[in-house]
Amino acid sequence: MSRVDLEHVSKRYAAVAALHDVSLSFRDGEFFGLLGPSGSGKTTLLRAIAGFVEPDEGSISFDGRRVENVPVHKRQIGMVFQNYALFPNLTVAANIAFGLSVRRVTGAEAGRQVSEMLELVRLTGLNERKPRELSGGQQQRVALARALVTRPKVLLLDEPLGALDRRLRQEMQVELKDIQRETGVTTIFVTHDQEEALTLSDRIAIIDQGRLMQMGQPREIYERPATIFAAQFLGDANIFTGKRENDVLILPGGERIHAPGTAATVVVRPEKMRVFAASRAVPDEASNRIEGHITQAVYSGASVTYHIRVAWRVDRPLLVFAQNLKGEVLTPETSVTVAWSPEHTVPVET
Amino acid sequence: MARHITSVLARLYLALILVFLYLPIVIMMTMAFNTSPLYEFPFEFNLIWFKALISNERLLLSSLNSLMIALANTLVATVLGTMAALGLNRYEFRARPLLELLLLPPITIPWLIIGVSMLIFFYWTGIGRGLHSILLGHVALSLPYVIIVVGTRLKTYGPTLEEAAATLGAKPSQAFWRVTFPVLAPSIMAAALFAFAVSFDQFVISYFLAPPGVSTLPVEIYTSIRKGFTPEINAISTLIILVSMGIMLVVARYYRFGGER
Amino acid sequence: MGGAAVRQYRGIIALTAPAYLWLALTVFLPLSAMVYFSFLTQAPIGGRAAEWTPAHYIAFFTKEVYWRNAWRSFELGIYVTSLCLLFAYPAALILAKHVKGRWREALFLLVILPFWSNALVRTFSWTMVLRGDVGLLFTYWAIVIGLIHAYLPYAILTCYISLQSIDDTLIEAARSLGASPVQAFLRLTLPLSTPGIVAGVILIFVPVIGSFMEPRILGGKNAIMLGPLIENQFTAVFNWPLGAALSFIILAIVLLILLAASPFLRRQLQ
Repeated sequence: MSRVDLEHVSKRYAAVAALHDVSLSFRDGEFFGLLGPSGSGKTTLLRAIAGFVEPDEGSISFDGRRVENVPVHKRQIGMVFQNYALFPNLTVAANIAFGLSVRRVTGAEAGRQVSEMLELVRLTGLNERKPRELSGGQQQRVALARALVTRPKVLLLDEPLGALDRRLRQEMQVELKDIQRETGVTTIFVTHDQEEALTLSDRIAIIDQGRLMQMGQPREIYERPATIFAAQFLGDANIFTGKRENDVLILPGGERIHAPGTAATVVVRPEKMRVFAASRAVPDEASNRIEGHITQAVYSGASVTYHIRVAWRVDRPLLVFAQNLKGEVLTPETSVTVAWSPEHTVPVET
Repeated sequence: MARHITSVLARLYLALILVFLYLPIVIMMTMAFNTSPLYEFPFEFNLIWFKALISNERLLLSSLNSLMIALANTLVATVLGTMAALGLNRYEFRARPLLELLLLPPITIPWLIIGVSMLIFFYWTGIGRGLHSILLGHVALSLPYVIIVVGTRLKTYGPTLEEAAATLGAKPSQAFWRVTFPVLAPSIMAAALFAFAVSFDQFVISYFLAPPGVSTLPVEIYTSIRKGFTPEINAISTLIILVSMGIMLVVARYYRFGGER
Repeated sequence: MGGAAVRQYRGIIALTAPAYLWLALTVFLPLSAMVYFSFLTQAPIGGRAAEWTPAHYIAFFTKEVYWRNAWRSFELGIYVTSLCLLFAYPAALILAKHVKGRWREALFLLVILPFWSNALVRTFSWTMVLRGDVGLLFTYWAIVIGLIHAYLPYAILTCYISLQSIDDTLIEAARSLGASPVQAFLRLTLPLSTPGIVAGVILIFVPVIGSFMEPRILGGKNAIMLGPLIENQFTAVFNWPLGAALSFIILAIVLLILLAASPFLRRQLQ
């Protein structure tokens, strides 16, 4: 279990900066998510930690010791690749034992550790199978067991659940978290799925175009995104731009909303807003209000998503998530007031 | 109804193609077992031409030459070719497309031209003609095939297998022998058999590089044909064709052509 | 460049150098030597002096006999290539689209097998068929037949690979949009399979114009083509520089064809 520190790490490929001045610290034992769109550089970052990519600038340290010049096979890491990279000619047991055999642990001792691992990933009994005989989910677990058996300092996961279907993904997410908690190994995983990042990570870093956009606990980043990019990448967001007058933002339709800070652009999360039909009274604390009418009401059982058209907002509708408290759904064409309280108005940089 | 007719026609067409492809070979083989020295019917089964082969010293000697060269060629081309395939496919580097392009000339330029240029060059530099020159030539022809066959398999698996081994603590040499090599083994085998067949069947290059008195089997067959038909040629040709087809059947088992799987 | 990158480059060089050095020594250097040779008056071997001259090339472009040879080689190439593809394409189509399962693999193997067997022996086997009563031996058409037989499997192979990579759902989509089978073929299948056809054209035309074994064995005195002519220079007439010049001309044509079609070839190789 190690602390991993990256300081001012940069990497270029030809004229493109894959990583630009990235500084991050991964705490010992935490489950850290690197989140970003395709091509953002998150995989490059992971591979730099692994040792497959040599940074042009900056330093990478494990527990304070710099490792840029340490070759991959000496870094004591464990890695699960996107396509699992199981050795096709070896059995499940031999795959898992590979890291042990390289460290000269063989025979009964190796067998014992392999069985332990198989139990941890809940694949006991599959020792003699070959990778091609396993399902996607099973292969993934073997890859995990193989990476963990050597008690690595850092566990690196490259989009580990990408190839699995939805149900399996959700199951594996829970299992991964359990296994990580049990073993306590510092885990860094890469994903483009924001929901996955939110549910699994102790902390998240959002990476875009090689740069670190924002880092923090999931709740922090979700409730207080620093940029429009972070706001839109991690969940849905309603974005408002207007003219500032101290702590009031004047929107194009004339609405005055209370918005802390000084930014001219703010973001409000859909679940923080509430929808009131014309006849209903709007509570006082929800003092930011906008008028509009419903264009779509998407009923998904536990909640209803309203798309609301506001006169001056031509590009996109307002999104409001309403918990299905009473089993009532407002119909399209209904005029409504959308209201939320000022503390949920988040200023962002553009 | 129409679909049925097209289906029948289609099968018929394929059958005709196959007949065209195999007809001369079958006729030649038939003649090899025929008593008549003038390739005339009626057909009378006889093994005399095969027996005559045993006492035909020139044919025997040239067969031995062919075999030795083919074996040496297989060894050299497979080793050198596999190494090159590894070097080309493990990493991405800028010169790679160029190097891959350079594999094309030996297989696309007509053998006549390659043979002629080798003859000129070897004479000029004193290497001269001989079995050693023939070997030099055969390896040059086999190398691109080996590199492509092994390289394709490497491309399929990509460098991730070796990377995974590295993350598990394996030194590069360990990673190669314990992970890459076993995965490559079938295609290395196929490439080796390929190289053997390329060398054993090779005529044009051997023809130009063979000095008087020394030859390989195909060259020997050719000179016999030019001089006039001898029925023993039928016999040895039958044997050769069975051998090369047999080798190719084995290769097909290891390595599928036609892009399937 | 960091330490790891340098290590990588050294590794690549160590692995690829032997093979490529061998190719340099046996293919690239000799080809250059041949080009150089073609500009000499006589072979500078055995102490003879040689001077630089373009005479051989001039002779090629001016003497009628050489033109005739070149033209016949070219003509042969066109006949063989077009006939090969004409017969091969339907076969490839049938194999790729009409035959399924184990039959397909087995038939495909049967078709390819002769191609990978000894070419000399196969050519020789045609003499068995064409001699005597059939009376075609030692004619121009014997050469054509022999060459078609040699390269037909190759043409089937390239067309098959190309056809097989066409997704069946594309054809289904076309049919669902109202196209008849013939229309779907002409407007979808045929255009999509052109890389295979082009590859086939190149990979047949080039060896055919440079062939000498089949013309000699099957054509006898009728083998008035560049291939046998070049071979003559080295085995009978001993005018090596002329042979080198003629060879270079073929080489130049080959390289031009390859260059012209390199986008297609690159796709096929992948």
